[in-house]
Amino acid sequence: MQVTTLHFRRKAAENLANDQLQRALGRLKERFVGARAEALQDLPDFAQLREAAAAIRQHTLDHLDHYLERFEAEVIARGGTVHWAEDAQAVQRLVVEIARQHSAQRVVKSKSMVTEECAVNDALEAAGVEVMETDLGEYILQLAHEPPSHIVAPVVHKNKEDVADLFAQHHRRPRQTGIAELCREAREILRPHFLAADMGISGANFVIAETGSALIVTNEGNGRLATTLPRVHVAITGIEKVVPTLDDVSLLLRLLPRSATGQSITNYVSVLTGPKGAHDLDGPEHFHVILVDNGRSALLGTELEPMLRCIRCGACMNHCPVYQSIGGHAYGWVYPGPMGAVLTPSLVGLAEAIDLPNASTFCGACAVVCPVKIPLPDLMRTLRVRQLQQNLRPWRERLALRLWAWCAQRPRLYALLTALGARLLHLLGGRRGLIHRLPFAGGWTAGRDFPAPAGRTFRELYRARQPR
Amino acid sequence: MDVHTDCLSADDSVGYAAAATDSRRTMRVGLFVTCLVDLMRPRVGFCALQLLEAAGAEVVVPHAQTCCGQPGYNSGDLTAARALARNLVGEFRDCDYVVVPSGSCAGMLRVHYPRLLGDDPEIAALAARTYELTDFLATVLPLSQPPGQFRGRITYHDSCSGLRELGVKTQPRTLLARLPGVELREMAEPETCCGFGGTFALKYGDISARLADDKCIQIEASGADAVVGGDLGCLLSIEGRLRRRGDMRTRVLHIAELLAGDGGDEPCK
Amino acid sequence: MIAARASILARIRRTRAGAPLARTPMSAPLPDLGADLFARFSDRARALASDVIGPVTLDRALTDLATYLNDRHLPLTAVCWPQLATRNWRAAGLRVEARAARGDDLVGISGAFCGIAETGTLMLLSGPETPASVSLLPETHVALLPVKRIVARMEDAWALARREHARLPRAVNFISGPSRTADIEQTVTLGAHGPYRVLIVLTRED
Repeated sequence: MQVTTLHFRRKAAENLANDQLQRALGRLKERFVGARAEALQDLPDFAQLREAAAAIRQHTLDHLDHYLERFEAEVIARGGTVHWAEDAQAVQRLVVEIARQHSAQRVVKSKSMVTEECAVNDALEAAGVEVMETDLGEYILQLAHEPPSHIVAPVVHKNKEDVADLFAQHHRRPRQTGIAELCREAREILRPHFLAADMGISGANFVIAETGSALIVTNEGNGRLATTLPRVHVAITGIEKVVPTLDDVSLLLRLLPRSATGQSITNYVSVLTGPKGAHDLDGPEHFHVILVDNGRSALLGTELEPMLRCIRCGACMNHCPVYQSIGGHAYGWVYPGPMGAVLTPSLVGLAEAIDLPNASTFCGACAVVCPVKIPLPDLMRTLRVRQLQQNLRPWRERLALRLWAWCAQRPRLYALLTALGARLLHLLGGRRGLIHRLPFAGGWTAGRDFPAPAGRTFRELYRARQPR
Repeated sequence: MDVHTDCLSADDSVGYAAAATDSRRTMRVGLFVTCLVDLMRPRVGFCALQLLEAAGAEVVVPHAQTCCGQPGYNSGDLTAARALARNLVGEFRDCDYVVVPSGSCAGMLRVHYPRLLGDDPEIAALAARTYELTDFLATVLPLSQPPGQFRGRITYHDSCSGLRELGVKTQPRTLLARLPGVELREMAEPETCCGFGGTFALKYGDISARLADDKCIQIEASGADAVVGGDLGCLLSIEGRLRRRGDMRTRVLHIAELLAGDGGDEPCK
Repeated sequence: MIAARASILARIRRTRAGAPLARTPMSAPLPDLGADLFARFSDRARALASDVIGPVTLDRALTDLATYLNDRHLPLTAVCWPQLATRNWRAAGLRVEARAARGDDLVGISGAFCGIAETGTLMLLSGPETPASVSLLPETHVALLPVKRIVARMEDAWALARREHARLPRAVNFISGPSRTADIEQTVTLGAHGPYRVLIVLTRED
């Protein structure tokens, strides 16, 4: 997917003013936040479960090479093929090669963030292969030529009127207005594509080292169709998605759906191991797995390593007040919200994604809900430290910080400057004690008044009250 | 301007370790007023002082205190933050406790100073004896009858750092319940961030103002006469947005002001 | 690509500390399911919009299934798992073919490897006698599940699978109700690409 992270500010501003998007974001907050809270009631000890989940993920990262090799061996033993891709270009090459190898002309896709990250659809289409997204949200995005705005609910930014318009335009059928009718129509339109497809591409929520399996969670059934009907199945996932055992994944599955949508379990959990057996009546004849690095291994051994524990539940963005106000597109790439604020700069470069780690109040709501205890605000701060070290911050900002620190280390000078500042601000506040415009603080005063101070600092007043 | 560098009520002969175990001796509390209170609303500092004395502490106000370093820290300048941390540790060395009328500054000392200067035992010791004001007055040196005279309906905003870094939630409510004239009306989402976020309020002002606006809508819906909180940064942003919305009526008060004074324009003692 | 593999593994190994692989899996308290697994299973399955009837004998199950289809004006023609080919469908008034499903089949009848009480979930293992498409392509999915095959949790289901099968089949499908989507306006709609309705018929021996 194209990186447009440098447009963060402009898009954020546009999205703040977009009433329809604001209503959609309100819906998201209402549904997902409430549903998650309710789903957690079921769990006797969410805190302990999180500890266990974080421990599984961290243990896996500690031994990532071992588990990846084990996974690969099991896949091969079951008749599948494992490919390793260093970067997005490698993924594109591999997918096109596999399609050619199997003379695949029509591909159906089940949702996969990694394939967005690596622009797989574009590469296939450039090679003359037809690609149909089948997850309803992704299909809608495909029709609209838009990127997803959320990792779990990709068209949260659209309402049903938008969808009705799109379908009417592309399906050449009378325009439906009800949500159920629109879903039915999508089913009817997409069903023939499933049946005619040569190759199915999916992601994998997890890959299991113990058995060489790819695990997919869906609600719609498109994941099952795409990985059962075509003669080739390609599962593409990041190297960090490996999990040691079936029991480990059972524990993680208690947290993933609850954190994402508030479901105790997604409608379908599919554990796929190898191509069809000689006597199986359905299933793909060929099973390929592509393990994608694309910058992930570079996070290992750094302060950012915890980011690789992510299980892509989306809880962080659902609970983030910034995401709730500006939506996902402002973040400019595949991964929005708090996890995007860390992962995007890590994968596409800090200079490219300069705003992302900064557009946070560090309220900590994301860290509280993360089912694998990723300390997201701390990781954003780490990126801010790096930005400063790499001279990526505007000179005015760096100067202001330097000055502040310099003065704060000199109490007498600090006392003098703050006393002057208090007087000046008090004057600017006028009779009402409110400042409407403040130089250097346009970010504040554009949308708020600035309450003027009383005019003397605490230090001065305290000193004045001391007995001589 | 001649500024003393020592605590003004110095009693240098007693080390803090002994003080911690001797309950008959008056507790010596260092008040860290914070840069925002110092510059923008000194009344909060005086109210905090009054409350701590009412609870029975001997309060000292180290005179060379400036800033805890959080603005630089959150902007990625660890060097400056470490320097300010070391200064602050020196300033408050002779205190049994350090009390701060701000969740975010208290959190900086308690949670982040050890991360910045982990090996320094003095830093660890400082962190362990630092408390946010309401937490201190509810759990460490209980204030059974706050002197405040406020009468009316209030709603309470839970500042993020206090809440999530320090677990400050019930403590302010416990103290507010001791004011007979105060009726607490919780807003729909007291724990949602107000959007201040320190430098965030300047750098991403439009998002910050929107979040403040969401808060203002909730405050108004709660029917409260005043919004109260433990962090001045939040309160300034909320007040600024209330006034820009045309609300001149809803009062914006730091909890220290409510607990100590009459909440009016009279400075507390 | 061999180079990519070596390069990626080398990068990973460079920062791994070489800690011992052994670990004591951390336990966490799990939801209490109550004494009656059957009740838990039924409650949860119904809460997820499956229809649940029984437990009934197998013969009764077939007639109840026919009644269910009739009541909803659904055809009495179905496809079923080859494993169920020898059931007495005709006696129940059903015309059933034992094969994999096709795109135009409307009713698919499967068994289930087991049921999971914790979440009201069916576990199906694919195989020559148990094709996955039967529970996927038709609009109505009917699952015949013996009550004694209800286990407490997914971990128990895996343990059962290990005991009864040498290795995992091509596809293990956990099914928890009719297909659904909430992509449009976060409004849950039942019936997406998979079945619109799921009927679980719990069976018991006499």
